[in-house]
Amino acid sequence: MRDRLFITTMLLPTVVLLLLFYGYPIFDNLKISFTDLSLLGMKRGGNWVGLANYRELFRSGDLGHILFNTFIWLTATSVILRLLIGLGIALLLNTRAMKLLRLAAVSRFALLIPWATPPIVAVVIWRFLLERNGAVNEALIKLGVVDHPIAFLADMRTVWPSLVAIMLWNTVPLIALSLLSSLQTVPDEYYEAAELDGATNWQKFRFVTLPFLMPAMLVLGLMSVFWSFNNFVYVWLATGAGPGTYTNVLATEVYLKAFIDFRLGYSSAIGMVMAVIMGAFGILYLRLVARQQLEETL
Amino acid sequence: MLKSLAAALVVSAAMLGSIRAAAADPVTITFRFNDTEQEVRGAIDEFQKENPDIKVDLQRIGWKDARNQFLREAAVGQGPDVQHSAQVWVTEMGDAGALLPLDNFLKKDPPSNGFADFVAQDLAKGKDGHVYGLPWTTDTWAMVYRTDLLKQAGIDKLPQSWDDLRADSAAVYKKTGKAGFGFPAGSSASGAIWFLANFYWWSHGKALIVQKADGSYALGVTVDDVADAMKYFKQYMDGGDNPQSNLAASDAHDPSIMQALVTGNQAMGAMPPNTYKEIIKAYEDANPGKPVPFVSAPFPHPDDTKSSMFGGRMLVINANTKHPEQAWKFVKFMASEQVFAKYYRTQFPAQNSLLKKIDFGAPLKGFAEQFEYARTWGPYASGPVPIGTMWNLTDRAFGTALSGQSKPEEAAKGLLQEIEKQMAAKG
Repeated sequence: MRDRLFITTMLLPTVVLLLLFYGYPIFDNLKISFTDLSLLGMKRGGNWVGLANYRELFRSGDLGHILFNTFIWLTATSVILRLLIGLGIALLLNTRAMKLLRLAAVSRFALLIPWATPPIVAVVIWRFLLERNGAVNEALIKLGVVDHPIAFLADMRTVWPSLVAIMLWNTVPLIALSLLSSLQTVPDEYYEAAELDGATNWQKFRFVTLPFLMPAMLVLGLMSVFWSFNNFVYVWLATGAGPGTYTNVLATEVYLKAFIDFRLGYSSAIGMVMAVIMGAFGILYLRLVARQQLEETL
Repeated sequence: MLKSLAAALVVSAAMLGSIRAAAADPVTITFRFNDTEQEVRGAIDEFQKENPDIKVDLQRIGWKDARNQFLREAAVGQGPDVQHSAQVWVTEMGDAGALLPLDNFLKKDPPSNGFADFVAQDLAKGKDGHVYGLPWTTDTWAMVYRTDLLKQAGIDKLPQSWDDLRADSAAVYKKTGKAGFGFPAGSSASGAIWFLANFYWWSHGKALIVQKADGSYALGVTVDDVADAMKYFKQYMDGGDNPQSNLAASDAHDPSIMQALVTGNQAMGAMPPNTYKEIIKAYEDANPGKPVPFVSAPFPHPDDTKSSMFGGRMLVINANTKHPEQAWKFVKFMASEQVFAKYYRTQFPAQNSLLKKIDFGAPLKGFAEQFEYARTWGPYASGPVPIGTMWNLTDRAFGTALSGQSKPEEAAKGLLQEIEKQMAAKG
């Protein structure tokens, strides 16, 4: 009993701080989402409209398209590709050949460059590269792949793959380097034992490497979901949610409604829906990762 | 006794010193400007020289964020003392309580030639009748042509109608392989195609928003009118004479469009005069001594319609300013003839008396002619739907049609339904 009281007392300041820093803004946002507050009427405040903003959001004809973009392109596609490419790069960097050629250190350093590039700079660089007279189009034309420049960020066939490519360029290095550090913790004895048992390379990867990497991949995967799902910068800076509304996602919709249409109440309702979805991912994260870590610690 | 006297003397001396220091310290006002610093640096330095008791702290912000940032700050009692504003923002910012009414200043200490000398006075007023902004600059958009490319395409007369423009643009592309009329068709809440769509409607005697005799607002175009405009501009994309990549260009001053005009990869453009001046300068820098191959001309229109807008900027004072007198002094100075004559040469003044004195020169002749056929945004700015919302909705609706996401009729219907919905919601 005394222990429990001690633990509660020790945790109290942290809990209070968390409530202040996270709880209050969420509560405030929830409150605004039940009003018609406008950016032009912030001094006056908003009128209570109950669930009207939520009703409008769920009845909106655009919601399906926005959710599809957010879940499928922005989150699922980018996260899966990020993990696969990151894993591939980590495995490559961990090969004996790379070590023998003394390329491992150079490659790791090279990987740090895109990772250290701020997203805004990454998007600007890629916009230049992908534009009509940009390096990518020039290369494709010179190689005879295409006759005319491709409007990568304006053509519906190429805009999402281009956006995902920009995100991957900027974020894969972190995944690759994290997985590389996990790879280096796999004891050589395991591989030697597998070899003695006649395991093929694929079997060594499947039954030795992968189980070792799974905890890290799980954490990185879930963290990537958080980073991607909420991401605003890549889409907004690269396409402005266009052409038309083709690349509009929840985060850009929040911005459009709040700062273009001035509808802070409605925008807050979208933000709350995003928070609920992220909360679900958070629970998943707690169940799959945090609890396991806690149990291991205890 | 002596100790007390000494202490009193020290305190008095300290107080006197601090009073003197306070008297010598200039008042600092903040001016937030949305274009380049070099355009106004000289004028600010001159103002500070003439008014050593006022220091002007120049802040810079991009146009895209300027209004929202200011509104957010003003709502919590913050923000710059003087803000650079688009003419069409002033009414709604004044109604939001973010701006200081200027009526008293205009009465007691008016600019030379008075407020009546300024253009766009209707846009400077709030719905409560108070004046919230001092019109500072004015401009209009016009067409810009590269004469060398037109010549190569066998075009010896500038287009007089929208059909001529379309035919000439296609001819340039076909005969030279260069872009014809390259316009920004991006889907964003920026200039993009919003301006061109409105010019097209205006020149056909229509307008997206109209004010009725009873003072209420209504849509002035039908679904067919909007779809017709979409189909017209879509031809340029489908024909290839406006490159597909311009679906990602959001402004007239998009670097790819400006660069294409400078390098001779594009024959025609539509823009405000400061963008045109930048293009001419870039061409002259790249081709010293060569004659400039550009001319400007009004947008196509019949004689009895308008085909461009009186655009421009205003200077507004934050409702939260602690230095209203100094802010007004600065605003008045910035709108004076000496500033436009000596320093702020990239824009035209918003005073009729000063506008008359301007020699537009040969390259800008088309802009001068366009002023005759320009109109203010009027009901667009005073109506119930924020103009930024209409920019965004229109650009995105055109974006969906021009990129082939939806048929022009569907996009047009969606656009008008959304604007009507917002008009109804806001009364």
